[in-house]
Amino acid sequence: MSSKKVRGNPNLRRGVGSKTTDSDKIMEDPPAGDWLALRSDQLLEWIDNSVYNVAEFTGMREVVDRITRPIFNFAQRLSPHPLHFGIMCCAIEMGQASAPDHDIDRLGLVYRSSPRQCDVLIVNGPVCEKLRPKLKTLYEQMPEPKWVIAMGECAISGGPYWDSYSVVAGADTFMPVDVYIPGCPVRPEALMHGFLTLQKKIRAKEPGMFLRR
Amino acid sequence: MAEMWISMGPQHPMTHGLWTLKVKVDGETIVDADPELGYLHRSVEKMGERRKYFMNTTLTDRLCYASSTTWTHCYTHTVEELMEVEVPVRAQYIRTIMLELQRLASHLMWAGAYMPDLGHITGALYFWRDRELFLNLLELPSGSRLLYNFIRIGGVKRDLPNGFEEKTERILKLFEQRLDEYSDLFENSKIFRMRTDDVGKFTAEQAKNFGITGPNLRGCGTKFDLRKHDTYEIYEEIDWDISTREAGPGYSDCFSRYMVRIDEMKESVRIIRDCFKKMPAGATLASRIPVRAHGEAFRRTEDSRGEAMMYVVGDGSDRPYRWKIKSPMFTTMSACPHYLKGYKLADIPAIMGSIDICIGETDK
Amino acid sequence: MNIDEFMQQLSSSKGVSNISKIRKNTVKLDLTKEESLDFFVSIKSEFEHCSLISAIDNQPDFELVYHFSCMNQSIVVDDSNCAVMLEAHIYLKREAPSVDSIANIWFGADWHEREAFDLMGIYFIGHPDLRRVLLPEGFAGHPLRKDYVYEIHEEEW
Repeated sequence: MSSKKVRGNPNLRRGVGSKTTDSDKIMEDPPAGDWLALRSDQLLEWIDNSVYNVAEFTGMREVVDRITRPIFNFAQRLSPHPLHFGIMCCAIEMGQASAPDHDIDRLGLVYRSSPRQCDVLIVNGPVCEKLRPKLKTLYEQMPEPKWVIAMGECAISGGPYWDSYSVVAGADTFMPVDVYIPGCPVRPEALMHGFLTLQKKIRAKEPGMFLRR
Repeated sequence: MAEMWISMGPQHPMTHGLWTLKVKVDGETIVDADPELGYLHRSVEKMGERRKYFMNTTLTDRLCYASSTTWTHCYTHTVEELMEVEVPVRAQYIRTIMLELQRLASHLMWAGAYMPDLGHITGALYFWRDRELFLNLLELPSGSRLLYNFIRIGGVKRDLPNGFEEKTERILKLFEQRLDEYSDLFENSKIFRMRTDDVGKFTAEQAKNFGITGPNLRGCGTKFDLRKHDTYEIYEEIDWDISTREAGPGYSDCFSRYMVRIDEMKESVRIIRDCFKKMPAGATLASRIPVRAHGEAFRRTEDSRGEAMMYVVGDGSDRPYRWKIKSPMFTTMSACPHYLKGYKLADIPAIMGSIDICIGETDK
Repeated sequence: MNIDEFMQQLSSSKGVSNISKIRKNTVKLDLTKEESLDFFVSIKSEFEHCSLISAIDNQPDFELVYHFSCMNQSIVVDDSNCAVMLEAHIYLKREAPSVDSIANIWFGADWHEREAFDLMGIYFIGHPDLRRVLLPEGFAGHPLRKDYVYEIHEEEW
């Protein structure tokens, strides 16, 4: 029982890497005892926490998780939705992989243009200083669970642009990366292999989905 | 109605690559626009100053991911002028074949990207399928699918492989049939014409002032092509014509810019066939290639998107002192407020797609 | 007009020196900073296309190289259809690297000037909107200058 934690910290629900800013502190809880000032989002959060704690301590969460885990995992694994986002050369090969010759869509890939509908972010080119905040925003806009694929040398380590003044040395310097696909540029076959590797990773990890924080 | 600014990009299906277009709209009508670049600025010019002359072909390959051979050729051509290297005749023919194959692949890539902009996803699949034919063809001599590093200073990496001519001829024959299919699919399609006719107009005078070159200028009816007007390699010995189109007297629209590229593909097929006919035997790499260079050289070549220019200054060492790249898209995009004004918001993908944007070369 | 006649015509312009033909279709000349704008206005009718503005850090001074191309065949090279180019060099002092803008004459020069300002720190007087174009706002320094220092984590090749 001691390993199970009671969670009530709203910051834990944020994306990876984000920090509490000053503007968050201004929006803190109302003074204790002031029930009239309780806002609806705080009420929802209170209910959320209560349900979570009850489910966690009675063992319900684990039971439901064990039942739903393979089902959710099956669905996640076989239909990754990557973001339709091209940076450089590898983006062309990403497009070519969807073309009739390679037809990567048979792995269940559906490219979506809105990050809100995606769960895989393919970083397919060098990340420059000007692009980095935008890419991070895109990553944080994606709903959990999400994965990142670093496609090509530029996204892995800076690649041919290792001595540039404006290229970041790899995407993993500012966001977590799950799969690295080497190549300059990556061939469509290699991208396919990368997605198969990601499927293996999702299967091995099997994250629980019920009341997940 | 109140005017407001809308920001499109850098992640937007309309932007072919990474750039932001801020448009000021009055209702649905575009009043003003402000393109913003720099999301892909990799500082190629500065990096080139730290590398030796022959190393820079790696960087020029990655300048434009859709037509890497033309950019490497522009660089090697400039450096050959700087170093006073004589390229063997056979190497010039092989270069011309590679350049035209690359132009075909680049135009097909453009068409494949343009069709989804107009909502025609099936069109994209057709063009991507045909591009694969030319990628396979380019892979035979160079060994790579996208970035070839085939053209070297003083010639080409190696001779064409056995059976390349027959295979090319087979693919060209197939491609010509496909081009006829496209004219049925797109030129005669009422929906395609409605999206492209009389949209994104600019006149030839404006285009010259804006710095618009290449197929976009030839779409205005101006007969100007650097392959004829500042000729290089063996283009003057080859039998071909400059293809021009115009939407009306002296101006272009999206459809004429589409058609001029289709015509250029036909001309490219003609050039490749003629090259194979006239190609002599001989060496493919110059016997004497210096490492150091002194002086300055400026050359311009006809890229698939317009005039690619390079200006190289050497100070006597084995690395360039200054290396300036001029991308045709850089100036073309700077003028986009002028040719977007007055059209509807939904016309933006049709207009910006039709000028064939490549951000890799634009941001350098 | 033949290119040789054009060169003779140029030699009478103010501020022009060292006129030479570096290729069969390219005329190269040096220009003083003060007379540059008047000279550019006078060649606008022949050279309707501003191709390229490149800035060079010659240490200590700067050099601006303008390339213009003639598309309407008003100047010809003998009897070929070769398009003529003009290459103008302007030398600027390092203490005050500024020159008159030509963005109002050729629109195509607009972003070339912005780029030269962005990467080399050259100021164009009279430019309608001189700000950084490639690098983010707030970037310190002008990276294409030879004295720009940045971190490289590996030894030089």
